[in-house]
Amino acid sequence: MSFADLFIGAVVALCCGLDRTAALQVMISRPIVAAPLAAWLLGDVAVGLQLGLMVELLWQARLPVGAVVPPDDTQIAVGATVLTLGMGAVLEQNSLAFTLLCLLIAIPFGKFGQFFDRRARLYHGRKPSLSAKMLENQQYRAMEHLHLRGLLSFGLASLLTYLVIVAGGLVLVPMLASTLLPALEAAGHWLRLLLPLVGIATILGTINVNRSLTLFGASFGMAFLLMWLV
Amino acid sequence: MKKQMPPRVLLHVWLRLLLLQCSWNFKQLQGGGWFYAMAPVLRRLYGQKEMQQIAREHLGYFNTHPYLAPAVVGAAIRLEIERSQGRAPSVTMKDFKEMVAAPYAAVGDALFWGGLRPLSASIALLLAAKGLVVAPLVFLIIFNALPLWFRIYGFLNGYEQGLQSITFLQRHKLPDLAIRTKETAIVLLGGLAAFLVCELFNYQHTPLWSGLLLLPLILGCGYLARRGFSTLLIVFLVSSLTIIGCYFAEDVVVWLP
Amino acid sequence: MPIVLTRIDNRLIHGQILESWLPYVHANCLVVANDDIAGSPLKRMMMEASVPSRIKVVIDAVPDVVAMFARGEFENFRVLLLFASTSDSLGALRFGLNFERLNLGNLHAGSGKKQYSCTVFLDPEDIENLEALDAAGIDISARCIPADMARHWRRLVPEKKREQ
Repeated sequence: MSFADLFIGAVVALCCGLDRTAALQVMISRPIVAAPLAAWLLGDVAVGLQLGLMVELLWQARLPVGAVVPPDDTQIAVGATVLTLGMGAVLEQNSLAFTLLCLLIAIPFGKFGQFFDRRARLYHGRKPSLSAKMLENQQYRAMEHLHLRGLLSFGLASLLTYLVIVAGGLVLVPMLASTLLPALEAAGHWLRLLLPLVGIATILGTINVNRSLTLFGASFGMAFLLMWLV
Repeated sequence: MKKQMPPRVLLHVWLRLLLLQCSWNFKQLQGGGWFYAMAPVLRRLYGQKEMQQIAREHLGYFNTHPYLAPAVVGAAIRLEIERSQGRAPSVTMKDFKEMVAAPYAAVGDALFWGGLRPLSASIALLLAAKGLVVAPLVFLIIFNALPLWFRIYGFLNGYEQGLQSITFLQRHKLPDLAIRTKETAIVLLGGLAAFLVCELFNYQHTPLWSGLLLLPLILGCGYLARRGFSTLLIVFLVSSLTIIGCYFAEDVVVWLP
Repeated sequence: MPIVLTRIDNRLIHGQILESWLPYVHANCLVVANDDIAGSPLKRMMMEASVPSRIKVVIDAVPDVVAMFARGEFENFRVLLLFASTSDSLGALRFGLNFERLNLGNLHAGSGKKQYSCTVFLDPEDIENLEALDAAGIDISARCIPADMARHWRRLVPEKKREQ
């Protein structure tokens, strides 16, 4: 994988990662946006769309409510995209099976995202007492800067997660490619279907709506019938 | 006479609200962001002498939904203007923040995270499955329209009406709107699931009716999720079963006459 | 017993309750036992306005809530009961409310409070209250949302810290 690929990925990881919590929240942090964006910059949007489709729904049911830190699906999406395109160029792979291999390797490393994000938030725990001290000295500008410096720790957490995922992939993808690729070759199309379905299932299992199963069953059945008959 | 804030200052506060959660921490959550957003207003209204006392009230715990925070801050600006004119406030700043934050957060979480996010994702994923490059843009446009309206209108409405603006939730029956959004999202997700299944089965020339057999699988995974199994676990369970299953299926095909 | 979850949460009704816990425990009635909010029409109105209309909301002072439970007013509901502090929940117990488990959700930082987990901050008085609840046989554990693991409170507050 070239340094340029790694760098482009890091820029996307940083921008989209900050959007998760620290800034804006215009949802460029969602996998369906982050993965195609990274893939577009690396030269193959289609891979990003595939990855976005598979990752987007998986953790949607984990809402960032209150003090909850959900798993970092942004970095999983960006990391998997960079691995697929960066390593794919080196190993001369561009199949769906290879994309899936990179994704399945990236997914468990997403746990680190939660860890780093929580570290950043715990590190910010010293800010309230610091800013109380600054207030006593009437340093209001300093208080504002103290707040803004949080961008650094959140950005660092995103970058570290991205690097851990890519590093893990660099080690594991070549190791597992020979054993898992043939298996994924056969299962590829099924997994491309089943991963979004798992995401839909987790949403159904946790959404706060009465009769969610009835609604889902009815619309699934109806759409299915339409596509069958038409 | 109603005293006004110059539009420049309002815009400044609004832009600062985009950085509300920079210093998010477990002690005061968005507390640091609140002060950061209010600082331009306080600086405008109060001199060096009063500033310290006033600023102290704007420190401390605060947490609400980032898209509804502008509505809270807008109202807080109005309250500060009234106070600086010497009118006694009917609620203290601390009480106001406390009273408004949690209900706004509850409604925002339900409407935006719980409802709008899966709704816009299901439409965008349909396009992504078709390989259309516009999918991410469509997602961004569908998702962001409503939050942007809340961020702008909520802020101005709060600023105009002050304390009265908190009837906002009731007037628009937002909790019920959230439920309807979620119901729509579920219907769309059903359509997306059916589309993905049909797409694969047509591609593989499998009889289409057998796609209905996937419904129990979805419900089964949903049940696992409901019982608290993590997504990570379900993903690995499903992927390994699929990989093993496909291997096995190939063997069966070989053995068939 | 109609109570499906008893929880201490400073923020009372908010996203975690409505989006995570309510569907998880299948509750259809939210009971908030809090003197301060029950006494302020404005706060009460705000809190009620954040809940969808199909869920029943009852907000009242701690002794009144206990009395309502005693009269059997919630027999046909699945109740999610919320307190804002450890002292309120101990109060409810002393007024005669029966509950078996207590969930620690968000307990804010404040002066004199020490951090025991990401969202649980306690002062010595809180620990005394929890001690009393524990002695009454109530199973106390910390769990912010259903997706988190429940951790027994003794694991957050080790023996030696309680003796100080």
